[in-house]
Amino acid sequence: MTKLKVNGVDRDVTSAPDTPLLYVLRNELDVMTPKFGCGLAQCGACSVLADGEEIRSCITPISALEGKEVTTVDGLPARWAKQKGLSAEQAAGKLHPVQEAWDQEQVPQCGICQFGMMIKVTELLEHTPSPTDAQIKAALTTSGPSPHLCRCGSYAAILDGAHRAARLMAEGGAK
Amino acid sequence: MSTTTDTETVLVHGAEFSRRGFLATGGVLVVSVGLAPGMAGAQASGTTTLDATRPASWIEIHADNSVVIRTGKCDFGQSSIYTAYRQAVAEELSMPFSAMKETITGDTDRTPDGGGTFGLLRFNLLNLRKAAAYTREAVLDLAARKFGVARGDLSISDGVISGGGKSATYGELIAGQDLQLTIPVSGEVTAMMGLSVTGNPPLKPTSQYTVVGKSFPNPIIRPKVAGKTVWVGDVKLPGMVHARMVFPATLGSKLVEAGKVDAAQYPNARTVVIGNLVAVVSPNEWEAVQAAMQVAGATKWTEWKGLPGHDKLQDYFAKQVNWTEVPSTKSQFSKAAPAGSPAAVKTHKAAYFMPYFKHAPISPMVTLADVRPDGSVTLHTHSQNPQYLRSHVAKMLGVSNDKVVVRTYPGSGHYGRSNGGSAGSENEAVLLSRELGRPVRVQWMRADEMQWSTQSSAMLSQVTIGLDASGRIATYAAEHRGPPMQDDRPIGAILAGLPTIDAPNPDNANPFYKLATPIADRWVYGAVPAVDETGFSTYQIGERASPLKVGLRDHSMRTPIQFQQNFPRETAMSEAAALAGKDPLQFRLDHVTDPRFKAILERLRQESGWTTRSSPAPTAKATGTRVVRGQGVSIMLRDNGYWACAAQIAVTPSTGEVKVERMTLVADPGIMVNPMQLKRQAEAGCLMGVSEALHEEVTFDEGTITSVDWSGYPILTAEQMPELKIVLAGNASVGNYGQGSESANALAAPAIAAAFFDATGKPARRLPLTPDHVKAMLRA
Repeated sequence: MTKLKVNGVDRDVTSAPDTPLLYVLRNELDVMTPKFGCGLAQCGACSVLADGEEIRSCITPISALEGKEVTTVDGLPARWAKQKGLSAEQAAGKLHPVQEAWDQEQVPQCGICQFGMMIKVTELLEHTPSPTDAQIKAALTTSGPSPHLCRCGSYAAILDGAHRAARLMAEGGAK
Repeated sequence: MSTTTDTETVLVHGAEFSRRGFLATGGVLVVSVGLAPGMAGAQASGTTTLDATRPASWIEIHADNSVVIRTGKCDFGQSSIYTAYRQAVAEELSMPFSAMKETITGDTDRTPDGGGTFGLLRFNLLNLRKAAAYTREAVLDLAARKFGVARGDLSISDGVISGGGKSATYGELIAGQDLQLTIPVSGEVTAMMGLSVTGNPPLKPTSQYTVVGKSFPNPIIRPKVAGKTVWVGDVKLPGMVHARMVFPATLGSKLVEAGKVDAAQYPNARTVVIGNLVAVVSPNEWEAVQAAMQVAGATKWTEWKGLPGHDKLQDYFAKQVNWTEVPSTKSQFSKAAPAGSPAAVKTHKAAYFMPYFKHAPISPMVTLADVRPDGSVTLHTHSQNPQYLRSHVAKMLGVSNDKVVVRTYPGSGHYGRSNGGSAGSENEAVLLSRELGRPVRVQWMRADEMQWSTQSSAMLSQVTIGLDASGRIATYAAEHRGPPMQDDRPIGAILAGLPTIDAPNPDNANPFYKLATPIADRWVYGAVPAVDETGFSTYQIGERASPLKVGLRDHSMRTPIQFQQNFPRETAMSEAAALAGKDPLQFRLDHVTDPRFKAILERLRQESGWTTRSSPAPTAKATGTRVVRGQGVSIMLRDNGYWACAAQIAVTPSTGEVKVERMTLVADPGIMVNPMQLKRQAEAGCLMGVSEALHEEVTFDEGTITSVDWSGYPILTAEQMPELKIVLAGNASVGNYGQGSESANALAAPAIAAAFFDATGKPARRLPLTPDHVKAMLRA
């Protein structure tokens, strides 16, 4: 039995300890936003936050995550509510500013990579609230084990989304 | 639910309009199809195809003024079926966009029309416009009778029909009735092209448009980013098992002996063998992944060599393929010079080469199939042509199409690869489910995706441009040599040795599979007196030598064949401009005759910061560590859309590094349905084009594809993104819809190649511009 904390909830997991987190999230815990892309930590579609740091769930065994808090895109609204100290009533129906910005800027094309993109940009904005284009591009390209890849080519929209998310966060979230 | 019946039928522009009854509550313009939206209801109903002649199948209006649109097309990021389609239907009905409450897509038992997800605006949209026009006319007929006024005295605005001092909404006119409109269609739902609406209902004049042309957001984005969307890989069924494929060692290897699962390590996994199809299944996905790797290592295949190797492919095309084995194709744009035309005094002649590209979706293909003891087959998958996929599965199993239902979900974009039904994993899942008697989920791994999917065909082109004494083009000739565009045989069926449609061959009656390389690039230089273009084809590379009959299987990918032919044409045009001593943008202006091209080229000159001069640049240099810069231009006419592109790049000769600094696109698509969505599509399409130009080439040895992951097949990263400027120069007055982002994708490479020539003085006549290729070009 491995103890994991996923999106704020403690979970006892029966999968073997060497199982990569991605398979545990999707098959045992029904947390479906991290996507299978390569299984090789080469694309970023499976990214999640572990204690606020982006990791690739396709290669990270759950044994390495005990005691850490895992956040996926499903858990971003609750993460934001907790960070801002929002009441349940205030938080109801609200998305995380990054998700909100992704909708407002119509960022996704097919969208399969965007779960990892939103995780990476959330990590960036939590450390760098007002990033430059170069900082966003570097976060998406060189800060992790591989670049975050978008085959549709939505990088320009992602940059727009990241800047809008930064503004929304500075304003305290979506109105 | 009817309380009385009334079979009175009237004809409305050839469509049959009848009231089937009166309803105690609600009311609907068309018969509801009797299928619950949930999957269980659909499966229980036994109905596997909608009756397309019922407009319910396309459009359904309810008493509360809400509208449901059904389409067999699917979304892969274009957004068109959720934005443009809704806008067009709202427009024809003169209803507000907000009334378009739901779009039901793809599922073969819940959508009527079939056909591929391509040409969405060019021809598919017309089906919906016509269906909506028939519907509007029927409602006007209803209103005329109810109001007691002549049809001609009625008008519609914002969903309200008015005339003779009376008015009512669509919903009010429909309320309490069960109405059916039967519209004429042609075609076959499970064929490649699906159904088309026939007849000529009066379409709203485009000059009266109020909904088309506005930037409505795509309604499926919010649930996607909120994590509420069920993606294709997320579908689960009780009792399902996970499967991983163990594909042959080469494209021609047959199975000698399948490896056994190490039961001590993987107690719940087992190997399944059907012909040359080998898979490992387990109730636990991670166990299936690991056991498949172990089994792959223990499986024996015959050896095979039958491919030329990617580094020898251009030479193989030039010297070894017999291009006269099948008939060549002459361009419809070919023409002889009129008598007295000036003779050519200078000639540019060169060969241009496009390698194989991968569609390379970020997530590999995945399908969950459920074959039941009663013979019913349900696939949960994503496909650009689900009705046609259904026919592939039925053919493989030797059953009728009505035994098969395809349910579709959002999935990874794959840019044309499944427009012929199958993209991979579908037929394997069906066969494994039939074998095991339970639902089976087949997830291709990255290497499966790179090695066993189809690819965009390679092409070698010879372009000859003759210039007259004044530096104008006197003659243009091109010969394009490449394998065919499309092989839609499902790989699972091929490996299992079960029936498929035929591979492309010279006698194939289906034009998609006839062994021919058409001239797909629309000729745009109307002022050129003599044009001669020919396409030469061959069998798919390796196919005939392979005991599996699997070669490098081709499949259309964004701007298919036109990309392969536009690249040599446009790159050669820039080199011919240099030979003439002319600015390459002005050189194009001098040879186009269509005013729409003249307009966008002039606009491109302003918007891109173009420097008018001939190439190469005065600073051009092919050696040294100093960065040299250049500019290049390209144009394309595709599906009524006029596009022009300028690239500004920097090259470091000593390292062979190419950096694309700025891309400018000017688009005149005619009627611009949704500017915001078009801008996003054009940006993204352009970046995919930059990626292909800089990085992409399928590598293979004599037996198999060797670019098996993102390190072997790199694509553009965020840091490599150039500055982008998209200029939307819509032209609603022309009255037709031009296609979206495909041209943006295709135009990047020739503009970048021309900029390379401008920067270095050395032509770039093949892709991609990787350091190795660039250094070879600079040495040449």
